[in-house]
Formats: sequence, C-alpha cells, structure tokens
Amino acid sequence: MNMSAAVTAPVAIRVHDLHKSFGPVEVLKGVSLEAREGEVISILGSSGSGKSTLLRCINMLEVPNSGTIEVAGEAIRLKTSSDGRSRPADQKQVDRIRSELGMVFQSFNLWSHKTVLENVIEAPVHVLKRPRVEAVEEAEALLAKVGIADKRNHYPSHLSGGQQQRAAIARALAMRPKAMLFDEPTSALDPELVGEVLRVMRGLAEEGRTMLVVTHEMGFARDVSSRVVFVHKGTIEEEGPPQEVFTRSKSERFRQFIKS
Amino acid sequence: MTEPGFLDIISFGADGWGAALAAGAWMTILIAIAGFAIGGLIGTFGAWAKISGGPVVRGCAEAYTTILRGIPDLLVIYLFYFGGSAVVTAVGQLFGAEGFVSLPGFIAGALAVGITSGAQQTEVYRGAFRAVHPGELEAATACGMGRLLKFRRITAPLTLRYALPGLGNVWQVVLKESALVSVTGVVELLRQAQIGAGSTSRPFDFFFIAAMIYLAISTVSGLILQVTERRFSRGVRRG
Ligand SMILES: Nc1ncnc2c1ncn2[C@@H]1O[C@H](COP(=O)(O)OP(=O)(O)OP(=O)(O)O)[C@@H](O)[C@H]1O
Ligand SMILES: [Mg+2]
Repeated sequence: MNMSAAVTAPVAIRVHDLHKSFGPVEVLKGVSLEAREGEVISILGSSGSGKSTLLRCINMLEVPNSGTIEVAGEAIRLKTSSDGRSRPADQKQVDRIRSELGMVFQSFNLWSHKTVLENVIEAPVHVLKRPRVEAVEEAEALLAKVGIADKRNHYPSHLSGGQQQRAAIARALAMRPKAMLFDEPTSALDPELVGEVLRVMRGLAEEGRTMLVVTHEMGFARDVSSRVVFVHKGTIEEEGPPQEVFTRSKSERFRQFIKS
Repeated sequence: MTEPGFLDIISFGADGWGAALAAGAWMTILIAIAGFAIGGLIGTFGAWAKISGGPVVRGCAEAYTTILRGIPDLLVIYLFYFGGSAVVTAVGQLFGAEGFVSLPGFIAGALAVGITSGAQQTEVYRGAFRAVHPGELEAATACGMGRLLKFRRITAPLTLRYALPGLGNVWQVVLKESALVSVTGVVELLRQAQIGAGSTSRPFDFFFIAAMIYLAISTVSGLILQVTERRFSRGVRRG
C-alpha cells in the first residue's frame, strides 16, 4: 500500500496506554497503538505475550482495566463499578462499535446450527436490520469472493478448516466493518489449507481494508503488512514497517524471535 | 346392575367408559404439558442463574434444586394444593368470602409438577449449555448482538440441541408424575381408572387399560421427540 497515505489517512483504531490484568497477573502493561485507515498491522509475539488480549480489548471481549480505545474517532466509554472493576458505561455503544469491527477467530467460530449463507446474513439482518433479500445478495457475492459460493447451503461441520475460515471472513465482511481484527486466523489449519486463507487476506489488504492481524505467518507479516508490531510481556517491544524491522531491528528479542 | 365386559369398558357407547377414559387421558396430557412448560420456564431461569448469576442468585438456584431433589414429589403436590388453598382462602376472606376456598387442583398440580420438573430442567439446560462451543457464543457477542438477540438466535438453539435427549427423559418423568395430581381430585387418567375400578368389579381391566394409554402417550411423544432432535441437531459440530 501507499506509505505516505498511511500517515495522512484518518485513524481507524487508536489504543492508548492500555492496561489489562487477569486477577493478579498484568497481561497488558500500557500498550499504545494506532491503525490508520487502509493499514495492515501484523501483531507478532511469543505465546502468552498478550496479543489476543490486546485484540480482544479493542472490541471489548475483554474490558481493559484502564486506557482508552477509539474506533473511527469515537472513544469507548468505560466506568468503574462499585466493586472496583472497569466495565462499559454504555452497552449500546459497545454493541454498535462491535458491529463495526469484523472479528475473525483462530477456531472460526461459525454458528454450527446455521448454514454458511445463514451465518453470513445473520448479523446484517438481525443486528444491522438490513433487508433480507439485500443481505442474501451481498452474502452470495462475498462467498463468491472468498471462493466458497458452492458451499453456501452447507453446514460448517461439513467444510474443511480453510473453507470454514473463509466463510468466517465473509461473515465478518458482511457487516461492512470499518476495521477487521484477525486472531491467528491460520493457526488452527492444516498446513496445506493455510495458503487459501492467506490469499483471501492478501486480497483484502490490497483492497485497502484496515486490518489488525495477530499471526505467526512471517511471510504475511513481511510481504503484506504496512507495519509490524512485536509484543513482548504485555508491552510493545518493537514497531515499524516490515522492511525496516525485519532487516535492522534494534531489539535483540525481536531478532531472536524472527530467527526461531 | 349388569357387569360390563372388557369391550364395554373401552366402548364409547352410553354404558361404556371410553369417553371418560379419553377425557382422563386428555387431562393427563394437559397437566403434563402445563407442568413441563412451567418447568421449562423455571429451568431456563435456573440454568441462567447457575451459569451467570452472582453468588446470591446462584445460591438460591442451588438451594432450589437441592431442596426439590430431597422432597417426595407427592409431598410437593400436597404442599402446593393445601398451601395454595390456604393462600387463596386468606385472600378470599380479605374480600369477604367465607370458609375454605380450594385452589383448583389442576392449577396446583400443574404448578407442583412444574416446580419439580423445573429443578430437573435446570440441570439439563446447564449441562447442555456446557456442551456449546464457547467460541460460537463469543462470535455472536463480537458482531454486536445484544443479550436478548444473542440468546434467541444463538444460545438457545445451540443449547436446545444438546438438551433434547435430557428433556425427553424429563418429559417421561412429568408424564408419570401427572398421575400424582389425582390426589387433588383432578380426574386425569389414573383417577378415572380408579373411579371405573371402584364402580365395577373389574379393577384390573381398568388399570390395565390405563397402563396401555400411558404407554401409548409416551411412545408417541418419544417419536415426536426423535423427529425434533433430528431437526435441531443439523450441523452438529464434529469433534
Ligand atoms: N480469560 C483469562 N483469564 C486468565 N488469564 C488469561 C485469560 N486470557 C488470557 N490470560 C492469560 O494472559 C496471558 C496473555 O494471553 P494472550 O491470550 O493474550 O496471549 P497470546 O499472546 O495471544 O498468546 P498465544 O500466542 O498463545 O495465543 C497468558 O498468560 C494467558 O494465560
Ligand atoms: Mg492468542
């Protein structure tokens, strides 16, 4: 993508000084991150470093203890309840912002009681209240785009992992999201199925979609992303364009990480 | 008085007991359906309380299921019938009515059956909910579904498919328990058979016919359940 555009484009997601603890364990220790429209950010880091937690805080699947999250310039309002825990101040706002962020999970998480097509139209029809006919039309176009139009009446359990993940991507796209969050979208796949999912994601990146991608796919991080973020023990240890960080990172840990 | 033969018992003619027995069977089905439905409502809230309630709510639900497991179902029916009647009487006296007003046996019975089956359904739903893949629920949250929408569209149908076998067992229990409601004077199948048995010299025939009717009801409902189960388990996750 065009790097100069990335600097001037509006901010799609802004995370500032995010802290998150599970019980006594602080998993995120003040993370700040900015994704401009059209940017593809690969989030790397070893297991347990807090990558998923960071992603899940952005759409409030985890409620941060402190810090701010803005989506398209709108800050998610949090309050501290009587037991001292932080919670959303306005659940309606959270639901709306969630509907503007497409999330793709490692384990696909398609609704197993619905066919592929039903999965894709479910939220557009019931959350966004869009006319069913229109939603079906758009869903079919999306399924064609991810290459599984012929599977639209199948149940997820009858699909391969790669097909399920592509259906899950179509489901996320059907919400016309402002940004997409991917949490290790290829980690649960057999090696021979990884390529088909990465190809779809590469296509989305080329369309100029804003994407935050937690991944272990170094090839994707290097070739597709506009920026790489390396998380280590709950802080951002290294950050920059891939061609810079992959060749001359100042972080010894990051150099170790990409070697292994 | 001429003694009826077996065929006279089941005949729907003027001297036959057929119509009375059919009415009794119908009453049995009504009590069972009402009790099962009330139990379903209670079970839904009970399971919700146990899964996501705070300590107090969870404690109440726990107490409810534990207590009902420890009390004979017949006793629950008595408690409801007489307890309910006492309440109705007290309220009646408040408005100037005199004497003992009894709670209609059907209502007391359906409530009592509902409360007991509610305890069982609580456990069935809770177990079924555990079998649901949490990621599917999280996906619903992540796309912005509110709590009720998520429950209606995702959580309930997914839970129900795992609950159906257990609910089938609960239904069979409810069907049998409906016979206990006869103690409140409701003329359901067992009570009708008793009446017939008492007014003729062929008690065995009446009870035998009643047993056959119970068996028929449970067989037919078992078949209906099978069809429902197949419908709801479309696309069940493998592994
Ligand atoms: N719900 C939770 N309750 C308690 N601890 C949690 C919870 N979720 C995550 N953790 C802990 O927080 C830490 C960071 O978890 P996180 O899932 O964010 O790591 P990750 O970088 O995504 O790792 P992986 O590459 O294995 O997915 C881990 O130590 C994990 O055990
Ligand atoms: Mg993770």
